[in-house]
Amino acid sequence: MFDDFAFSAFVVTWLAAGIRLAGPLLLAALGEIYAERSGVLNVGIEGTILLGALGAYLVTYATGSPWLGVFGAVAAGVISNLFLAWMYVTVMANQVVVGVVFNIFALGLASYFYRIVLGTSGNPELIPMIGSISIPGLSDLPILGPILFSQSALFYVSIVIVLIAEFVLLRTRFGLNVRAVGENPRAAANAGISVVGIRYICVLLSGAGAGAAGGYLVLAQIGLFRDTMVVGQGFIALAIVIFGRWRPIYAALAAFAFGATDALQLSLQLFSFDVAPQLLLSLPYVFTVIAVSGLIGKTAQPAALMEPYRDR
Amino acid sequence: MFNLFERRLAPLDSPSVVIASTLGSIVLALAIGAFLFIPFGTNPLLAYFSLFESSLGSLRGFGMTLNRAAPLILVALGTCVAWRAGFGFLGFEGCMTIGAAAAAWFALVGVSEDGQGILLPALLFWPAMLAVAFAAGGIWAGSVGVLRTRYGGNEVLISLMMNYVAIFLVQYLVSGPMRASGSLPQTDRFPTESWLATIIPGTRAHAGILIAVGAAFLVWLLISRMRVGFELVVTGLSPLAARYSGIDVGRRYLLAAVGAGGLGALAGLVEVLGTQHRLMDGLSGGLGFIGIVVALLAKLNPLLIVPVALLYAALSVGADALQRSTGVPSSIIFILQSLIVLFVMASDFIRYWRPRLPRFGAAIVQEER
Repeated sequence: MFDDFAFSAFVVTWLAAGIRLAGPLLLAALGEIYAERSGVLNVGIEGTILLGALGAYLVTYATGSPWLGVFGAVAAGVISNLFLAWMYVTVMANQVVVGVVFNIFALGLASYFYRIVLGTSGNPELIPMIGSISIPGLSDLPILGPILFSQSALFYVSIVIVLIAEFVLLRTRFGLNVRAVGENPRAAANAGISVVGIRYICVLLSGAGAGAAGGYLVLAQIGLFRDTMVVGQGFIALAIVIFGRWRPIYAALAAFAFGATDALQLSLQLFSFDVAPQLLLSLPYVFTVIAVSGLIGKTAQPAALMEPYRDR
Repeated sequence: MFNLFERRLAPLDSPSVVIASTLGSIVLALAIGAFLFIPFGTNPLLAYFSLFESSLGSLRGFGMTLNRAAPLILVALGTCVAWRAGFGFLGFEGCMTIGAAAAAWFALVGVSEDGQGILLPALLFWPAMLAVAFAAGGIWAGSVGVLRTRYGGNEVLISLMMNYVAIFLVQYLVSGPMRASGSLPQTDRFPTESWLATIIPGTRAHAGILIAVGAAFLVWLLISRMRVGFELVVTGLSPLAARYSGIDVGRRYLLAAVGAGGLGALAGLVEVLGTQHRLMDGLSGGLGFIGIVVALLAKLNPLLIVPVALLYAALSVGADALQRSTGVPSSIIFILQSLIVLFVMASDFIRYWRPRLPRFGAAIVQEER
């Protein structure tokens, strides 16, 4: 059906697009892993991604520098999640409720500010994006070169962050504390760990990750802001966390799998295949349902997930 | 923060405190919301007034308010049934979608070939229609319940993911098997016999609100007047105590899931048979989540849900009108609504903590940390 050249062209477009789409999911999932490992299910990352995207857009729009935009995105994520952390940890409100309501709040806020800044009429202005970097030598490799080594600069940063996140979570004292707090907060507290402190830090980390994910969407994928641009990405990141069994490296693989399925239906349409794209698109979710359902053995969900900690 | 506040020995639980904190939250949210009108040169008080004037001030606006409230009430009732039982179900987007698809299928099939009249007599058609949609949503959500009770899955995450499966499923249906000829991915228009009847002449108000209010009464009956409902609530308050007193907790979760799913599906039915008259992609439009917020505002009380949903619907119809006339984005409603809920929840902080004031007197009890 295919000659070799067309086939490799197909594979290259598909996987390169898959990796491009995976980037934001990956960043959001990394932060969420820390939150969940410390026992907080942060459903609010969906809204945080949107606020991060808005932050990135506004800062880049004002300063003209996309790298400052990344800072804007992370700052928006951290600041908004400070409120979430307060609600989750100090007020001890139901985490799912807070997250769901916060997502609606963020949607309203983002579309409101977007309207204010750009007025109702004009077309959204494009902003400068973070360019892609071709790594000398490696990018000339056949097939692998264009897939892996000529991606956006943010992609390489994300890969480094994955490795750091994995190392910190599994090989450092801080990571051990996080895991202890998520498994048995009372025991952790008795061992002298500040449960409240660790949970605050982890929710802020998930805010930073989700904010950066929004920045990634704006600065490396689209180049403009729309209040409908995030729809569902945060929830997909939740799925990736489960699918990656709460481990950064596995989550990275899961993110690429999700990105690749998403890209596959685009590529198949591009190469005019006749497959129902929706069935393909729903596969990752079906797999996630199976993964959390307990049908295939217990998943390693942190034992204290969604349980507020009362210190007396 | 740890020095500024100290924990109360017992939370403030008197009704007056609860009412005051709720009212305070609403006032605070509206006050913050008032700032949002300023960049548009609109007087906030006038704006708030016109929100209600355009939705409740005319019969036409009132009809639209009723239509928008109906699916919200149903989703909120579903939330009430599930969450009262301690079943953290978030899958109402999916249930609405599945319910709409089932209703669409039945509306298209329940009619004879030539499109003349309905195969079933109207007296049978409507009960059958409601049953089909309820069953579809019930089975959809019930599967989440089975995964939870049988295999110990996490219902919050499963139900979130199932939303997407449902949405893609309907996307597939309207672009493949159920697609009508034409350029848009949507089904044929339903025969008019299957549309929800207009209940107020001269408006678009349809019978969906009757279904919703009826459901609210039934859910109230279930929860506060029936043994099963009592068992649901006990399960939600304390699964261990429920099990100890002989309640089959797994069954109650399952029942809550099926009920919630069925109610969510009815919301989809109301949307598709009342407003759109055909099945298309993207029908729920976030209602599945907004309904949850409505339920929370009503403190998961089935009878309170009706007025709260009407109020929210009125605000949102009014906001649409306001956006058309002054350009103030209607997303202000999202901000107001979520702020109110967040403030109500945050006001628990005041109920549990009090400011640490310098106290004069002999014995200051030092609490052990």
